Amino acid sequence: MQNISPATLLVLVPLLPLVGALLTLLLGKILRSRAHMPAITGIAAAAAVSLVLLASTSMQVGAGPSSGEHAEPVRPVEMITTLWQWATVDKAYTPDAGSAAAIPGTPIGELTTEMRPFSIPVVLRLDPLTAIMLAIITCVGLLVAIYSVGYLHDDPGYTRFFTLFAMFVFSMSMLVAASNFLIVYVFWEAVGACSYLLIGFWFQKPEAARAAKKAFLVNRIGDFGLAIAVFLLWMTYGTLDFHDTLSANGTILPGILGQTRLADPAGMIGGAVGTAICLLLLLAACGKSAQMPLHVWLPDAMEGPTPASALIHAATMVTAGIYLVARCAPLFIASPGALVMVSIVGATTALVAALVATVQYDLKRVLAYSTISQLGYMFASLGTGTMLGFTAAIFHLLTHACFKALLFLGAGSVMHAMGGVIDMRRYGGLRRLMPITAATFLCGACALAGVAPFAGFFSKDEILATLHSKAWPNTHGQQQSPATGHAHLHLSSFSSDAVADDLTADALIGLDALNCPDVWRILFFMALITAGLTAFYTFRAVFMTFTGPTRVPAEAGHHAHESPLVMTLPLMILATASLVLGWLLFSTHWLSHFLSATPSFALPAFGQTANAPVFHLDLAIQGTLAAAVGIVVAAIGHLGRRSDGPQMERFLGPLGALFANQFFFDQIYNVLVVRPLELLAMLAGIIDRFLVDGLVDFIASLPLGIGSVVRRLQSGVLQRYALAGVMGVLLIVFVLAWQLRS
Amino acid sequence: MTTSLQTFFLLGPEIALVAASLVVFLAGAFAGLRGGWSVAIVGIVGAMALSGGQPTDGETLVSGSVTIDGFSIFVRWMVLSLGLLLALVQAGDLFRSAVGHNSLHNRGGTCEEAGTFLILLAGLSLVGAANDLVLLFVGLELVSIPTYILLALKRTDPHGQEASLKYFFLSLVASALFLYAAVCFYGMGGSTSLAAIGARLQSNDETIVGMVVVLLPVALGMAMAGVAFRLAAVPMHFYAPDVYEGTSPGNAALLSTLPKIAGLVLLVRLLALGIPAAGSLTATDAASIGAGATSHLTLFWQLTAVLAALTMTVGNVMALLQKNLRRLLACSSIAHAGYLLVGVAVAAAAAAAQADRTLQAHVSDTSWTLGLGGMSASLFYLATYVLATTGIFAAITYLGHRWPEWNSGSGPRPPREEIAVIDDLNGLSGTNPVAAFALALFLLSLAGIPPLPGFWGKLSLAASALEVDWNAPIGFGSRRAVFVALAVILVLNAAIAAAYYLRIIAAIYFRTTKRGVQTDGGLSAGFAMLICMALLLMVMLQPRGLFVSASRAGSGSTFASIRVQHPTQTIDPQ
Repeated sequence: MQNISPATLLVLVPLLPLVGALLTLLLGKILRSRAHMPAITGIAAAAAVSLVLLASTSMQVGAGPSSGEHAEPVRPVEMITTLWQWATVDKAYTPDAGSAAAIPGTPIGELTTEMRPFSIPVVLRLDPLTAIMLAIITCVGLLVAIYSVGYLHDDPGYTRFFTLFAMFVFSMSMLVAASNFLIVYVFWEAVGACSYLLIGFWFQKPEAARAAKKAFLVNRIGDFGLAIAVFLLWMTYGTLDFHDTLSANGTILPGILGQTRLADPAGMIGGAVGTAICLLLLLAACGKSAQMPLHVWLPDAMEGPTPASALIHAATMVTAGIYLVARCAPLFIASPGALVMVSIVGATTALVAALVATVQYDLKRVLAYSTISQLGYMFASLGTGTMLGFTAAIFHLLTHACFKALLFLGAGSVMHAMGGVIDMRRYGGLRRLMPITAATFLCGACALAGVAPFAGFFSKDEILATLHSKAWPNTHGQQQSPATGHAHLHLSSFSSDAVADDLTADALIGLDALNCPDVWRILFFMALITAGLTAFYTFRAVFMTFTGPTRVPAEAGHHAHESPLVMTLPLMILATASLVLGWLLFSTHWLSHFLSATPSFALPAFGQTANAPVFHLDLAIQGTLAAAVGIVVAAIGHLGRRSDGPQMERFLGPLGALFANQFFFDQIYNVLVVRPLELLAMLAGIIDRFLVDGLVDFIASLPLGIGSVVRRLQSGVLQRYALAGVMGVLLIVFVLAWQLRS
Repeated sequence: MTTSLQTFFLLGPEIALVAASLVVFLAGAFAGLRGGWSVAIVGIVGAMALSGGQPTDGETLVSGSVTIDGFSIFVRWMVLSLGLLLALVQAGDLFRSAVGHNSLHNRGGTCEEAGTFLILLAGLSLVGAANDLVLLFVGLELVSIPTYILLALKRTDPHGQEASLKYFFLSLVASALFLYAAVCFYGMGGSTSLAAIGARLQSNDETIVGMVVVLLPVALGMAMAGVAFRLAAVPMHFYAPDVYEGTSPGNAALLSTLPKIAGLVLLVRLLALGIPAAGSLTATDAASIGAGATSHLTLFWQLTAVLAALTMTVGNVMALLQKNLRRLLACSSIAHAGYLLVGVAVAAAAAAAQADRTLQAHVSDTSWTLGLGGMSASLFYLATYVLATTGIFAAITYLGHRWPEWNSGSGPRPPREEIAVIDDLNGLSGTNPVAAFALALFLLSLAGIPPLPGFWGKLSLAASALEVDWNAPIGFGSRRAVFVALAVILVLNAAIAAAYYLRIIAAIYFRTTKRGVQTDGGLSAGFAMLICMALLLMVMLQPRGLFVSASRAGSGSTFASIRVQHPTQTIDPQ
């Protein structure tokens, strides 16, 4: 690897799956049942390369932190590879243009009246955040792809599945590696398209087609937010690059998340525009990461093949929102109001989704709500705006990718054996039939519930600790919120912009008021309750599926046995990861040290919060207690005897109905959005048929009127053409002469 | 006019083309149709090699009436590469108005067609390099006359003959008017050299100021006739639908691309007359840019802006009604001529604005870099338009003919028919998916759907129009208002145009037909179609390369350069 540059390797990570996808598509008819070969080879190679990149980046960051002491800030590690300039319009080629923007510290608001070069490079970046995301995407992707070989054998859409799968890995790697907002947007849409096509993979099933459509439409709202955010970013910063670039005359053009801007305390624009950008980014993240109120698509997305659910709708694509917020951390830090919104959205979603999950009977839906809930955790953690919070979110993202993929694949294994039945009431005691699946599923469940040595315990503990430190800042020593310190600074720097002046104060005060310890205390308790609920619904699913007397539905037929090795091997690998990864990363503090070298986290304000996570015994006890209560309640309700009846709902009374109907989100949207839109569509249809069509018919009949003029001109008679032409020229001459005289 | 050895060297590529054409004509006596086009392609490649061998490190070479600068090199490369594509299309253009009827006759003519085609290319390349009214006119005729021959040779049925006659007579009218304009310019400048005319226009001579008022409107108006005919712009656009319909697809490809290049070159050279050479203004005479030059620039942008708006709209509205494929594409080519004019108008307005500033500030602003974004945008747009249009006609040529509907019980099979109307492409996606995909791509690019090259072209045209007088307020009738309106008209027209392009795509993909499209055109046309598609995709992924070369060719130095080397050669007209 000595003579291959990291830049080449970085390009290879997305390129290899892309080649795999194209080869699968082209050779699918020839390879038939071996159509997975190119895709899996490509993803495997990409996984190997991304691990090499992870290792090399880690080496660049340097050794671990010096034993908990307040070491000097880590030097940011960043590598930029510009592949080519994709779009270059107009003044981009005049080297002097936009050089005013090149001087760091120039008030950026003044530049909005200038014509700026519009240039979109296809540019990739490598920093710790990207490296770790790439590793997660390709490694989990590889395991899920291997699993799919067994899961989807003799499906008629075998080739299509692997093409889309590799395409997704390509798009997702590009999304996290891109260093330009427009490229991010392009691949944000690309992963959405892959997700759409995979949810609707069995498009003959009406539910699948409907679910795909729903996912697509709900995501559209989020994507719209991202588009507007990108426009605003362009208007505000005059570039869409993350990184700094060198202009032709040697000056530095600061990128939005470039080191020049990060080093400058006034580099990020807050105020009304900053808050708007952040809220729009949050909306985008809510769409992709299924947060309230845009979470409704994810449970339905379970209509897709289970491996797709595992990779796209649990481990990777839905974390794109987390990635986006983490990547844009400096922007959010500059808008504390938006930042606290991130936490509120996250914690609320976590609680609501966990409540809904407690009464679901569809195993995959339990897991889907659990995914929404866990993503909510990550958002809650991101919203704290501390280094600890960002680290905890990424840590949880990493462990969640492992154990949630494991749980989904386990559920797929059950579904495979049960002949497609996924209702937990219809089977039970499967641990005897499927020992490996049961054991690995239990590992995943322990991790999800936060049982002590498993991965989820550590990452969830960190998130709780983060929230705790915001709620009771005094007990955590030097923890000083960088966000509040920054707000006033930006208010003053932004007031020069006359347009946003009057907006600024109101917009900030409204949201800023939320950023007080009381709110954080509520959020902390919400998270703690969620932890208990998580343990409950997880073990409820475990008990219902794997314990009790063995029962198998009729659909299973002779299928009811353990899945083949090609499916259980990924399960075992993921189970091992779920067991050791959390302790490994937590005890060495490697992750927090590694991530702190990400340029986005290199804001000076982070310096004071960039301490290594400490093990808080009291919090760990609280978390474990919550989990224990949940497990015990689940055991009381579901262990031993069968619990097919809806006791849970009966026990909860009207609340049960609320949970079982997912808080009536679908129904509310139906009444508020879908019905009015349908009405509007009907109205538009009527208008179209009678008014527009009438108008069109009228216009179409005009050619007989107006057209007769055109026809007369376009008569085909040569002399008339010549005459008309010459008359036209003479007219020009006279008009010009008249112009010149006057 | 002096002729030196250097002139021969500079004109090497053109000479190679003519030499190759002579070989074709001689060999025509005993070579087949393949031979003719093979020699033509070899000749074009040879010309490319010679052109590549010339020193092109940005400096301007002037010899006699020939100027080799960034612009003419851009034109030459465009002509040669387009020539290569068109040669492939023409070679595959086995058009038969009724199959079996006169195919032999057509095949016999093919060899001479190749030679004629080469001369056409040489003429066009000369137009790009001409620095003198006489050479310019000769070059233009060297384009026109081979075109008449090609039109007449290819299709010998009454339709074809009618088309070629129409083209012939209207072209003559346009040429005559242009010649008249040339005389007027000579009258003003006292020389046939463009540099001298420009220098004279910019001088503040009493005599020239008086003369400009009389002659400039006539000169510009008449010259515009020559330009408009070649661009197929208002008011000389009438011929296009009739001629395209009455000729073969290969010839339509030629008509919709090569003359447009000539028209744009003419516009650039005419515009340059009003622009002072770099460094030619000293502090003393900066305050006195000739009134002739400022009137020239003002009239120029006003004229081109109005013609642009008219041409776009007329072309698109006409196209909406067409059912015949080639008529529709003719109307679309009129509309695209309008888009091209937008960029030229922007360049002229930017030059006029620069002149205003220089006059007001009383300083010698030697840079005159000119917001010539407009010119660059036009050149970029021309390249993308040419690629897509050539691709469409290549595809139609390649598809050739189709079988009419026929039941085996109802007598003998009727002869094949040409692909004439849009409905003839129904269900193409089933019978020939590759051609269907390529056609869809070309049409979407013409419609300006992102991220295809046509979108980048329209985007940069609109952006350049919005850039005119960027800091000025939008007053009624101000230059800024005109160009904002022009940008809006452009975008509206793009929306109108999408309607008829999408109609073709709908026919290809969403309709079915019982009669299959027979691909009996030459394979070389199919090859040309694939090349066009590959190039189009390349520009889509990496538009910067083309942007950079277009901006180099359209940069201000190109305009000024004509006169850098030609200080004064004026002959007093009195």
